[in-house]
Amino acid sequence: MSKVCSLEELAAEIQPGMSVSFGGFAHSLTPMAVVRELVRRGVDNLVLIGIAEAWAADMLAGAGALRRMVLSNFMFEGFGLCRNFSRVVERGTVEFEDYSHFALASRFAAAGVGLPFAAVRSLLGSDLLGGSNGEQRLAHQEFQSPFGEERVVLLPAVSPDVVVIHGHRGDDDGNVQVEGATSVIEEQARAGKTVIATVEEIVDSSRLRESPHFTIVPGMLVSRIAAVPYGAHPTGMYRLYDADYAHIREYVAASRDEGRFADYLAQVTAGGHSAYLERLGVRRLLALRPDPHFGYHLEREDGGWRA
Amino acid sequence: MASVSVSLEEVMVYTAAREIADGSAVFVGTGLPMLAAYLAKATHAPEASLLFESGILDPQPTHLALGVGDFRLMHAATSIRGLHYVLGLLQRGVIDVGFLGAAEVDAYGNINTTVIGGDYHHPGKRLPGSGGANDIASSARSTVIMCPHRPERLVERVQYVTSPGFLGGGDERERAGLVGGGPRMIITDLAVFRFRPDTRRAFVSSIHPGVDPEAVIEGAGFAVDLPDEVEQTPTPDASAVALLREMDPAGVYLKRPQG
Repeated sequence: MSKVCSLEELAAEIQPGMSVSFGGFAHSLTPMAVVRELVRRGVDNLVLIGIAEAWAADMLAGAGALRRMVLSNFMFEGFGLCRNFSRVVERGTVEFEDYSHFALASRFAAAGVGLPFAAVRSLLGSDLLGGSNGEQRLAHQEFQSPFGEERVVLLPAVSPDVVVIHGHRGDDDGNVQVEGATSVIEEQARAGKTVIATVEEIVDSSRLRESPHFTIVPGMLVSRIAAVPYGAHPTGMYRLYDADYAHIREYVAASRDEGRFADYLAQVTAGGHSAYLERLGVRRLLALRPDPHFGYHLEREDGGWRA
Repeated sequence: MASVSVSLEEVMVYTAAREIADGSAVFVGTGLPMLAAYLAKATHAPEASLLFESGILDPQPTHLALGVGDFRLMHAATSIRGLHYVLGLLQRGVIDVGFLGAAEVDAYGNINTTVIGGDYHHPGKRLPGSGGANDIASSARSTVIMCPHRPERLVERVQYVTSPGFLGGGDERERAGLVGGGPRMIITDLAVFRFRPDTRRAFVSSIHPGVDPEAVIEGAGFAVDLPDEVEQTPTPDASAVALLREMDPAGVYLKRPQG
């Protein structure tokens, strides 16, 4: 049976109170159309388990959609802090729990191979494990290897209720291809209780089978899939479109002030994804097209050409 | 100094580049370390391998990346994987030197990039968090810390140890079970600190050209251990400076020297 559905049906898999995790790394690969749809529908009380999806984290934080964040790092590379994220933490309106990238990715990886816990060599000696007053911050156990002297930290596996990813292309069985650096998508998708995917295009399975090495999430893991062109905008998709740096600047400026950010959210969510793309306009979207050799747009204003 | 005018940030980058040995494996982040790594590859360390937490292994970028997630960093990479893969390699022990930035770094090389002011649960200012920094600080064979030389950045003890240096000094780091070697040095825009082999406390090992030793003391929030005889930090020659400016012509990471 085909797993293909609309963006709205797909996003409806995420209900208030659920734990969620999104694909993405810095200004790339983030299922932003799903994030905007959640904001549009007013889904709240979510627990975000996030490693590199700063865009999803900051927008949902600014929309008041989060109850708790389990995180390793949220920042807008090249543009500074994620201000909505910092604001909700400073105000104490959202609970949070810090990990390192590898520690949290390892919790996903453990769940993805059916183990109850992960073992890592990170976190030892740091305040991520606990404060100087003896307060324990993370569920963990320091553990000496039964086969030697090495000490490791055990952390519980984690399986988000819903993992949301955005891929370059997929098919109606839910197979998803991603090109370029894949962030934590493989580990997230294997860990998720439910995995839903948006993709730039849905193609015939035979086309995916021509390049199976790009299929990093097999359809057996994916419940629903929707074709959502420019579904990562304003983040980019390697070889398809660059991050929209002008939009990123507008977002970052708006996020300095709650009123302005509320206006921004109202603007980008009005009418859903089709209306969003129409407002952006063809000219702007075409301008994000990459150079076919390099896989990214060459004429960015920060220059940086190195002959 | 050579006829070319060199900025203190350029001295920082050059100093960092000199820590990259040819053939070594280097974990690199956004900003000055990225330029340092490119400079090393373009000069004395063409066979160094650069790894980025975004999952990119040893690229040959022809355009300056705004961050480790920038598509510009994927160009001509030897391999492109995921975050867990490269950080797993780091934990495996393949990294000779990892670069770290800091909002706060203390006299024992511990780094805070999590909260400033208040307490952990009610911070005055919430920062991005560890990212891969704790992993690098824990597992790289050595680390190089780069941080502006300001009293609020160079502190006696960090408020929150996001990424461990030598913890409280002495053998505390080893006793915590950490296998990576810990910080090799702190490079600021005024000086270079290294660590005493017994106490593991930072001391000034060189001062950048033209910098007053008093400024090195005044600019730090911890009591500075300044030996009587301190070398001058080597200055990049004209060709190294030209390379850096060619890599970052718009001054994204490197401010141009004044005047």
